[in-house]
Amino acid sequence: MARIRNIEIRNFRSIHSLSWRPSSGINCLIGPGDSGKTTILDAIDYCLGARRNLTISDADFFEMNVDEPICIKLTIGDLEDGLKSLDAYGHFLRGFRAETGEFLEEPEKDAETVLCLQLEIRDDLEPKWDLVSDRATAQGISRSLSWGDRQRLAPNRLGALSDYNLSWRRGSVLNKLNDETANASAALINAARIARDTFGDDAQKELRETLKTVRTTASSLGIEGGTDAKALLDAHSVSFSGGTVSLHDAKGVPLRNLGVGSIRLLIAGLQRAAAEKSSLILIDELEYGLEPHRIIRLLSSLGAKETNPPLQAFVTTHSPTALRELSGNQLFVLRKTDGGSHEAMQAGIEDAAQGTIRSHPEAFLSSRVIVCEGASEVGFLRGLDACFSSNTAYRPLAARGVSLADGGGVSKVIGRGQALVELCYPVAVFRDDDKQPDAAAETAFEGAGGAVFKWQPGQAIEDAIFQGVSDTAVEVLVAYAIDLHGRDSIDQWIKSASANALDLDAFESEALVGEISQDTRAMLAKASKQKNNPWLKNVTAMEYAGRTIIGPEMKDADQDFKSVIAAIFRWAEDA
Amino acid sequence: MPENTFDILEIDRGTVTAPAGCGKTHLIAEALTRHLGSKSVLVLTHTNAGVAALRSRLAKAGVPSSAYHLMTIDGWVIRLLSMFPKRSGANASLLKATRPNYPKIRKAACVLLKEAHLYDIITANYDRLIVDEYQDCSVPQHAIVFYAARVLRTVVLGDPMQAIFNWPGNEVAPWKDMVCKHFPLVAELDVPWRWKNADSEELGKWLLDTRNALVNGTPVDLRAAPPSVQWIELDGSDDYNRQLEAARTNSPQAGGSVLVIGNSKKPQSHRDFAARTPGAITVENVDLRDVTEFAADFELDDAEALEKIVKFAASVMTNVGPDDFVKKVQSQKSGNARTESNEAEVLALEFSERPSYARAAALLSGISRMTGVRVFRNEVLRVCLKALNQCDKEDADSLYETAVRFREQSRILGRAVPNRAIGSTLLLKGLEADVSVILDTAHHDAKSLYVAMTRGSRKLVVCSKTPVLNE
Repeated sequence: MARIRNIEIRNFRSIHSLSWRPSSGINCLIGPGDSGKTTILDAIDYCLGARRNLTISDADFFEMNVDEPICIKLTIGDLEDGLKSLDAYGHFLRGFRAETGEFLEEPEKDAETVLCLQLEIRDDLEPKWDLVSDRATAQGISRSLSWGDRQRLAPNRLGALSDYNLSWRRGSVLNKLNDETANASAALINAARIARDTFGDDAQKELRETLKTVRTTASSLGIEGGTDAKALLDAHSVSFSGGTVSLHDAKGVPLRNLGVGSIRLLIAGLQRAAAEKSSLILIDELEYGLEPHRIIRLLSSLGAKETNPPLQAFVTTHSPTALRELSGNQLFVLRKTDGGSHEAMQAGIEDAAQGTIRSHPEAFLSSRVIVCEGASEVGFLRGLDACFSSNTAYRPLAARGVSLADGGGVSKVIGRGQALVELCYPVAVFRDDDKQPDAAAETAFEGAGGAVFKWQPGQAIEDAIFQGVSDTAVEVLVAYAIDLHGRDSIDQWIKSASANALDLDAFESEALVGEISQDTRAMLAKASKQKNNPWLKNVTAMEYAGRTIIGPEMKDADQDFKSVIAAIFRWAEDA
Repeated sequence: MPENTFDILEIDRGTVTAPAGCGKTHLIAEALTRHLGSKSVLVLTHTNAGVAALRSRLAKAGVPSSAYHLMTIDGWVIRLLSMFPKRSGANASLLKATRPNYPKIRKAACVLLKEAHLYDIITANYDRLIVDEYQDCSVPQHAIVFYAARVLRTVVLGDPMQAIFNWPGNEVAPWKDMVCKHFPLVAELDVPWRWKNADSEELGKWLLDTRNALVNGTPVDLRAAPPSVQWIELDGSDDYNRQLEAARTNSPQAGGSVLVIGNSKKPQSHRDFAARTPGAITVENVDLRDVTEFAADFELDDAEALEKIVKFAASVMTNVGPDDFVKKVQSQKSGNARTESNEAEVLALEFSERPSYARAAALLSGISRMTGVRVFRNEVLRVCLKALNQCDKEDADSLYETAVRFREQSRILGRAVPNRAIGSTLLLKGLEADVSVILDTAHHDAKSLYVAMTRGSRKLVVCSKTPVLNE
C-alpha cells in the first residue's frame, strides 16, 4: 500500500524544478497544454518503474542543458513491513511530516516513516537509482531498492497502449492479482510433440517420392539411419515462450481486441483488485476512449469517492466530466511560476472552488475565466460572442481559451473568482450592480489580480440593457418577450411595474413614434426583472437576445453600455 | 525431547527459568521451527560465542534461517545506533572507536528505544523477541530489552544460578526483583534432558537437587551422591598429584570428552596442568593476551628475535627446552656444532639468516613437530601463526594489528571444543562434555560451583577438603 508523499523533479524535460506533495488518493493534474503534466507522470514512472535501464537522450534535459543533472526524487510512505526491513533499508529509513513537508533524517514517533528514492541522470545518460539519506552518505553506504521491491512498487501505467496488461507478462497487472503463475510450458511441449507426430504421418504421403529417393540413395551408399528416413518437424520449430498466455472471450477472441476504452476500464478495475500488492497507477488522458458514463465508472473504480482510497493515482485529463466527479483535493493545477519553477496547486474543497468544479468544470480547463454573476450574464456574453463571430476578423472566446462560468449569484461570485485567481488563472468577474458583493472581498480579489466588470452604479443587467440599447433593440426585445410569455402577461407586468402609468399598447405607440423615453425604458427594465416571471433571466433567452437583438444593434447603443461590453471583450482578447 | 505444558510462542511477556541441561535451547529451536509468518523472531544472547553456539544448534535442529535474526544484544543495538545515530543522541565517534565503549553504547541504545521513534520499524521487522542467557544481562542491557518489549512480545530465558558474569561495573539485573518483576515468571524447566539422554538421569536429578541446595544455602554431601559423582579429598598431603590424577580422569565413554575446571584467578595453573596432562589443551581467555603481547614486542630486525620465537613456542608447547635450542642454533651458526641439525634447527638458521614473518611462522610449526613436543595452547598458536603468515604479504598491517584482527575473528567464530580442555568456569560456561572435573571447590562460589558441576553429562569428579559442600 505504498504512497508517494513527495515528488521533486529537477531539470527534467519542460520542468526546471518542481516540489509537490500529492494526495494519497487520486491526483488529477490539469493545466494548459505543454505545462508538464505528462512529464510528471513520466518522472514517477522512470523513478519507480521496474526498469533495469532507460533510454535517455539530451532532449530529456531541461532546455537540453546536460550540465545540470536530471534528478527525480520520490518520497515513499505508508511502507509495508518489507520496506522497513532494517537489514535492507535501515540506513535509509527517514521521517516525514506530511502537514509541513518537513523531512527528518531519522524516523520519529510523530512522523511517518519513509524512504526516499532518487533517479539521477548525468551527461553520460546513465540512469542511477539510489535510496538517499544523509547518514548513509556520511557512512559511505549506498544501495537501491531490491529488484523484488521495485517490482512490487512499480506503478502501473495506463497509456495509449496498455493491452499488454491483458497477458500474463512481466509487470502486467494480471501477475499482480495473486501469486499464481501461468506455466504453460508443459502443455505447450506436449502439444508440440503431438503436432510433430501428426505432421509426420501426413508428410510421409506428401513427400513420398522424395523420401523414396533419399532411402534408396542411403541404402546404396550403406548409410544406416538413412535407409528409413522420415520427414518430421524440427523440434525447435515448434516452440512457445511462456509469456504468450493472455485473456480471451468465450469465443476465443483475445480481449485485447476490445475497444480502447473497454481495455482501459478493465485494466483500471483489475488494478483496483490488485491494490493490495500494487497501489500506484499512472493514467495519461483519463477520458481517452471513454463515454462520460464510463469516465465516471473509471473514476469510481479508482476510488474517487472513497474516504480511504485504495489506490494512489496520478492522472491527466481534459475532460469536464472527469473534473465534475472529483473533489477539489484531488485536483491539482500545474503552473509555471515567474521564477521558472513549476508548482502543482491543489484546488481545495472550500465552497468557492468546489462549487465551480461542480457547476462549471470547464473553467479549470480554460486559460482565462470570466465568472459571471448568474445565468443571464453567461447567456448574454455567449450571445454577443456568437453575434461578433459573424465577423471573420473576430476570434471567438472559445478560440482564445476563455470560458464563461456561472458565479452562482452576487453572494458567491467574488469567492469563486478568488478561488480561481489563487490558482493563478487570469480571472474577471462580471456582475450586476443592483446589489454589491462584500467590498473587502472584492478589493482583495482585485488586489490578487482579478478584474471586475460591472454595470453603471445601481444597474442590474436588465436596467443596463433597457437603458443602454437602441430604440429598435428595445422594441425587438419587447416583441421577443411577448413571444416567450404572451401579450397579456407582458401587458399585465408593465402595468404593475409602472403602477398603471404605462401599458403595452402605450409602449408600442411610443416606439412607433421613434423616441423611447428614459422613463419608459426604466419601467420596462423594472417589469422585465420582476421576481416571479423575469422575461429573459435564463441562458437561452439571454443568449438569443444577445446574439440576434443586442449584438447586431451594438453600434447604436448608449456609450456607457458599450464601454462595459468593450472592456470585457478587450480583457478576453488579452489571452 | 521435552513436552512442555507451555508454549513460548504463546507467551506475550514472561520469563522461563532454565536450569542447566533442561532443554532450553531445544525449547527455542522447537518454537522457531513452528514459527510461521513473514516476520522473523529476534533472538538475542550475550556473547559472540553464544551466538555461534546457538546458531549451530538451530541449524542442526533444522530451523530455517529465515525464521530468526540471531545477534548479541550489543551487536543488535550497535546496528540500530549506526542506522539511527541522531535519535540516540550518540555522537559519531562512539561507533567509530576501535574499542567499543559498551557502557555508552548501551546508554545511547536505551535512549533510542525508550522514545517511540523506531517502534513501527521494529514491529515491521520482528514478530517477537526471545532473549537467551538472560541471567547474564546487565542492568543497562535489561533496560534495552525492557524498552524493546514495549512493542515486541518478549520471552526471556535463563538461570539465575548460572549468573557468573557478575562483577563490579557489570552488575547483572537481579533475577527476582527486576527480571521476574518486568517479565513475570511463566515456568521453570525441571527435566534434566542432557543427563537423561546420556543415560545418567540419576546424576541429572542429583544436580537439580544440588541446585536447590545451593540456592537455599543448605549443605551438599558428596558421599550421598550417586556413584557417577567421585569425591577426591584434598587433605594437604599430596594435593597437587591428586588434582593431576583428577585432571587425567577418563570418560566412561570411549573417546568421550573431559572438561577440567581450575582456579579462575590463576590461568598459569591451567597451563601447568595442561602441560602435564596428556591430550589436554587450555581454553584461552578471549583477549588472547599472550599473542598480542608477543606481536607487539616482536620485530624482525631485533637481535633477540629468534630467542623470542623460541620462548613463545615454549609457552604454548611442552618439552621445547628453549635455552638449549637457542644455544644449539647459535653454535651451528658459528660452525661449532658437533651434531647434525634437525628440521626445526634448520628452520631456525634460515630465520636468523634471512628473517621474515613467514620464516618465523615456519619455525614455530617446525618446533611443534619436534619429537616429544606437544602443543597445549592451540588457540594461541593458531592465531599467532595466522597473523605471522598474513603479515608476510605485501601491504600488510603491523603484526600487532593483524594479530588483533585475527583475535576478533576467532572471538566471533567461537571455538572448537578440544576433547580434554582446561580452563576456568567463566571460560568453560556453555561448553558441555562427558566428564566434568573440579580441581578445587575452594575456588568457587555457589554459582560458579553449579556451573562447573553441570558441565559433564556422565561423570563428575570433585576435589575438595571436605565431602560436604556449601556448609
